[in-house]
Amino acid sequence: MRALYVSEQGCYLSLNDQLVRVKRQETLYAEVQLPLLQMILIFGKSQVTTQVIRACLWRNIPIVYLSRMGYCYGRILPIERGYRQLARYQDDLTLSDRLQVAREIVCTKLRNSRTVLMRQHRRQPSSSLDLVIQSLAVLVEKVRQADNIPRIMGLEGAGAAQYFSAFGDCLSSDEFIFGDRSRRPPGNPVNALLSFGYQVLWNHLLALIEVHGLDPYVACLHEGHRSHAALASDLLEEFRAPFIDAFVMYLINRKMMDVRDDFVYHNGGCYLNDVGRVKYLKAFVKRMEETITDEFGESQPKWDLLNQQVKAFKQFVYDPVKQPYVAYQIR
Amino acid sequence: MLLYVIVYDLPDNKRRQKIHDLLEGYGQWVQYSTFECWLSSDKYAELQKRLRCQLNLDEDSIRFYPLSRHTVAQVETWGIGPPLWKMPGSTIV
Repeated sequence: MRALYVSEQGCYLSLNDQLVRVKRQETLYAEVQLPLLQMILIFGKSQVTTQVIRACLWRNIPIVYLSRMGYCYGRILPIERGYRQLARYQDDLTLSDRLQVAREIVCTKLRNSRTVLMRQHRRQPSSSLDLVIQSLAVLVEKVRQADNIPRIMGLEGAGAAQYFSAFGDCLSSDEFIFGDRSRRPPGNPVNALLSFGYQVLWNHLLALIEVHGLDPYVACLHEGHRSHAALASDLLEEFRAPFIDAFVMYLINRKMMDVRDDFVYHNGGCYLNDVGRVKYLKAFVKRMEETITDEFGESQPKWDLLNQQVKAFKQFVYDPVKQPYVAYQIR
Repeated sequence: MLLYVIVYDLPDNKRRQKIHDLLEGYGQWVQYSTFECWLSSDKYAELQKRLRCQLNLDEDSIRFYPLSRHTVAQVETWGIGPPLWKMPGSTIV
């Protein structure tokens, strides 16, 4: 996924033939090739000219407007994206189809969380970690037998609580302390790193869902309503642990973030500041552009895994019986 | 994804500039009338379609050389000028 992230404040995006220019006052920050671009993300206050907007609409490149901490306000999409044909198929999914997908997503999420902890356990064995690893396996079994969404959600919550209690033990830093997960607002730097990462990933998933013509408001696990693109939240679950949690662990354990210089406190929450956000995004994008070998022996950037899952969901929507949805599981 | 070397020869200054500007969206200008572009097959088709609209093939000449992975690894560049074009990733400002 080739994206342009504008995290600097007060930038001005203009079009120069096939190139998008990112300037602030007289400084040219970047020139990006529009035909090769897949998405533009604007964090905070930067301006985009109508010429750029029009060119992006023309080429089906979503422009996403986010708060500085990554919350999505809205996006610019071409008019033909009206979720028509596929949305009908999505509406036709039966309750049992949905339940099956919800189960699959939560099982895989718990398994992936477990794998992340197990990798850490191999490096640094501890009895408390071992206990959580075992209880996550028990929860996976329970989810497999669960027969309604509220029960699945409940087990998912129990799993997350267990998992995050162990997550703090995986951080080998005296400065980044993680007690438990807090969000809206994130209460400390570790939570700020997690929240920001989930938001960024969520936005990429939303863009892909829309590019593929699926209706993001119709989902299986999360309750969809007009203000919540629940399908993006559904598909995010399987990627949280391998793509964000493991990455945050890596950032902290390699001492790549600075607890004093990279964060800002306001409104009772802790957020990445301008410096921290750019640092985070650079490291994140570098990681997501690393190639991994898939099950067919093809090497491809990690970004493409998101695309594959959205495609898999689309295939499931077309034919839920023949193509059951299989979530992304790390090995 | 293949590396294409695209070279052109156009007598008309205005048209040449247009072709240059279009190709800048898809790859790197390496010397007069020569571009290097890493393109997927659909981007390659798109580029060719757009070029076709601009060219006058009674007067102009344009050549596309795709390089296999094997030969890309053997490319040499001498003297001044940019290094071999790598497909750019995401941009963060």
